[in-house]
Amino acid sequence: MKKKVKIQIISGILILIMLAVSLFPFYYMVVQSLQPWKQVDKSIIPRGITLRSYEYLLNNGGSGNTFMWIRALANSLLVSLPTAIISSLSGLLIGYAMVKIRKFRGQKFIMNTLLFQMFFPGIILLVPKFMITKSLANTYAGMILPMAISTWAIFMYINYFRTLPDAVFEAAKIDGAGPLRIIQKIAFPSTKSVTVIVFLSIFMQRWSELMWDMLISPDISMQTLNVLISNQFKPMGNYPGPMYAASVILTMPIIVLFLIFSRYFKEGISFMLK
Amino acid sequence: MKKRSITSEKRDNILGWLFCSPYLIFSLVFFLIPLCWAFWLSAMDWNLMSPDKSFVGFNNFRQLFGDAKVKAAFVNSFRYLVPIMLLCFLGGLVIALLVTQLPEKLKGITAVLFFIPYLTSGVATSVVVKYLFTYNSVLNVFLRDHFDLNISWFKNGKIAFWVITVLVVWKMSGYYALFILSAIEGVSEDVKEAARLDGSVGLHYLWHVTIPMIMPALTTVLVLASGLAFGIYTEPYLLTGGGPQLATTTWQLEIYYTSFTRFQSGYGAAMAIANAVQIFVVLRILNFVMDHFNRKFGW
Repeated sequence: MKKKVKIQIISGILILIMLAVSLFPFYYMVVQSLQPWKQVDKSIIPRGITLRSYEYLLNNGGSGNTFMWIRALANSLLVSLPTAIISSLSGLLIGYAMVKIRKFRGQKFIMNTLLFQMFFPGIILLVPKFMITKSLANTYAGMILPMAISTWAIFMYINYFRTLPDAVFEAAKIDGAGPLRIIQKIAFPSTKSVTVIVFLSIFMQRWSELMWDMLISPDISMQTLNVLISNQFKPMGNYPGPMYAASVILTMPIIVLFLIFSRYFKEGISFMLK
Repeated sequence: MKKRSITSEKRDNILGWLFCSPYLIFSLVFFLIPLCWAFWLSAMDWNLMSPDKSFVGFNNFRQLFGDAKVKAAFVNSFRYLVPIMLLCFLGGLVIALLVTQLPEKLKGITAVLFFIPYLTSGVATSVVVKYLFTYNSVLNVFLRDHFDLNISWFKNGKIAFWVITVLVVWKMSGYYALFILSAIEGVSEDVKEAARLDGSVGLHYLWHVTIPMIMPALTTVLVLASGLAFGIYTEPYLLTGGGPQLATTTWQLEIYYTSFTRFQSGYGAAMAIANAVQIFVVLRILNFVMDHFNRKFGW
């Protein structure tokens, strides 16, 4: 027993050290975003706290494109939310169709298409996808549609529905429930943990997308926060303070969302392993 | 009775296609058509805008072999692959094993804290790293004053390469730890009980019980991490632009530059296809090796 306690203490210490390493960049980012501008990047402990960097973002330091940072944050939300909603919903419907509608003509063909698509790295499609979407440049549709359906999300739902017993669905069918009612009343509520994971993961991926958004939305008023930071941030030119503040704003919503829903994770992760 | 089954069959057909139609339309427009287009494009010489394009056959592919940028991207993908795969694997395993030692109450929250770097946009971490490594930053001033070290982090190819590698490993380890942790927690009580009765504890237990039981999760992590190494883009784009002397460049970066800043879209498409072939072959080999190991050791 004594040995076990010893092991626990040692692992506890090791974990604290590793957590410190793993979370240090966030600490540094937050501290620098709150430092007086003369102190930014000069010390790792705060030498005074000011909101100047955040105020700068509110009106872009009073110059040029006054609301570009706020606009970019709104753009990020307006792109990521619809993408996450469409991906989850379509994943749910297709997953249900592939597993719980036991047989329909063409089911095998669709399954093969899905597997075939998983096979190809997205980079091959970059130029032609850009050509197809070019007429939607600088629109939300141009950013949302090409990434609106995720094969990963579909397979998460397929794996999940495979673990659900058919009996429940059969019983509902015998009771005369229509397919939409079955999805709404039985399938959807039961997928809570998978839906939470799919929704948050897609939201997070879309929120952090760089290459596509840079290509399809070069217009400064249509850039997402992620793109705007990477375009504005030049190590020598700009003030670093606001860049840190913008990075904090870029990072925090996702972390908070995931912390709120973290209890669903353990259950959801098991469907990723299949 | 028979009539009913026919109508329900019909209904299932309609429903199935109805539910799958969004995906089918999507995959036609944003997958199948672009895929064919990509192959066609790879045989063209075209600058993305002008109405003139000329058919060049396999010339683009032939050109790949003499291109220093392609060679750098090809070699770098292996240079990234090996450390990223090994370090992500080790990092994930160590985090997972340490977390299992914790009291039940703390496990969940600790695993989630390790998961946070994964959630962060590469842009935000690149901002931090770039500023932290500028000449007058707190870190470099400290190194100069106390150790007389003057490191130009992004001018030296080797150092820049390792900064990016460590950044990727830092980002992904906690995520992979979740997979491994979930597999360790899934080891059944019967197995643990049997091992206990046989007197298997400590390292013996780890090597002969835990590792074999979580082998599928470990394989998944290795495959995911190797796939990840081929998709590096944000960090080199923001930190080094692929330099110095192509030391940190990746396929994604070179394909992007070729297609959209040098406007050689046909050649870019050929590069992307070469990249896909490389990924495919590497993943096949990795799968084969893992299968072989799994069978050899009866895992």
